[in-house]
Amino acid sequence: MSAGNPSKKSTLKKILIVIGIGLVAAAAVALYIFTDTFDDTATQKAAYTVSANPFIKEFEKDNALANKKYTEQIITVNGRISEIEAADTTVNIKMIDTTTGSYIIFAFQQQDAAEAKKLKEGDSVSVKGSCSGGIFSEILEVESINFKRSSINK
Amino acid sequence: MKKTTFVLALALLTGAAFAQKKTTTSAIINFDATTPADALPKAENKTAVAAIDTKKGTVSFEAVMKSFAFGNPMIQEHFNGPKWLDSEKFPTAVFKGTITNLGEVNFDADGTYKANVTGDLTIHGISKPVSTTADITVSGKNVTAKSEFTIKLDSYAVGNAGGKVNNDTKISVVAELK
Repeated sequence: MSAGNPSKKSTLKKILIVIGIGLVAAAAVALYIFTDTFDDTATQKAAYTVSANPFIKEFEKDNALANKKYTEQIITVNGRISEIEAADTTVNIKMIDTTTGSYIIFAFQQQDAAEAKKLKEGDSVSVKGSCSGGIFSEILEVESINFKRSSINK
Repeated sequence: MKKTTFVLALALLTGAAFAQKKTTTSAIINFDATTPADALPKAENKTAVAAIDTKKGTVSFEAVMKSFAFGNPMIQEHFNGPKWLDSEKFPTAVFKGTITNLGEVNFDADGTYKANVTGDLTIHGISKPVSTTADITVSGKNVTAKSEFTIKLDSYAVGNAGGKVNNDTKISVVAELK
């Protein structure tokens, strides 16, 4: 009766161990990816810091170029609040170029929802958010630049 | 005298035109393509543009695709990627429609009205007809519109990622217009 080849058994054991480690690693990566969430915008470094009006002008001048530069980037925008609009249980704030009507609008992340409600029209603010890009609104016939997950710089 | 009358009439007409067009830049659109196996493909866009012309009964929405905020970074990336909504190429979703029972919606009197809305929804560069109902609440000069409907992603040439994304995707819209 043969006891089998000890060398083959050892190789098989090694292969099974490697497969096992691979499966555990893949499961860990999948778990990480699927449970991942966006970081608090307040803790993220801004790629650009801009003033509201020149920022709007950049989009008005060359929408494609401005979108390429700013979309999906974290940007700090300094400016004066022109308008506040209700948005669900919180508010959005707008900075409007009064000469053209073009505007930047900021939707806030959950962590900043309560603080955003304290803001008033005319307040000078510094807001950091994820730029969703700018489009020429066919409805309003102005440039509309959108931000999501915004945070108020203290 | 004639010139003054003309200018006055023009000013009144312009004012009336603005008064009948209610707009917001903070309409909220929720997108829910979740399945029992995957709760991740859902997002909210809080900065959609919306307009209702209360005299003509026209309704329009415009949403920047990259303004849909997902909870999960990877799903958001896939959503905007070339294999799904391709937001680089098709940066907006647009709805243009009309209230077909405008006579039953009194924008001059406070109250809540059931409006029938029919129009075309353009997503991923493809336009498809959509018919839905909307609850329209009039309160003074403010109008709140709420609607929910379902779209089939495959009719917009958007895949369902091998069943991980629900082809019957729920869309809800809330707009407070002034």
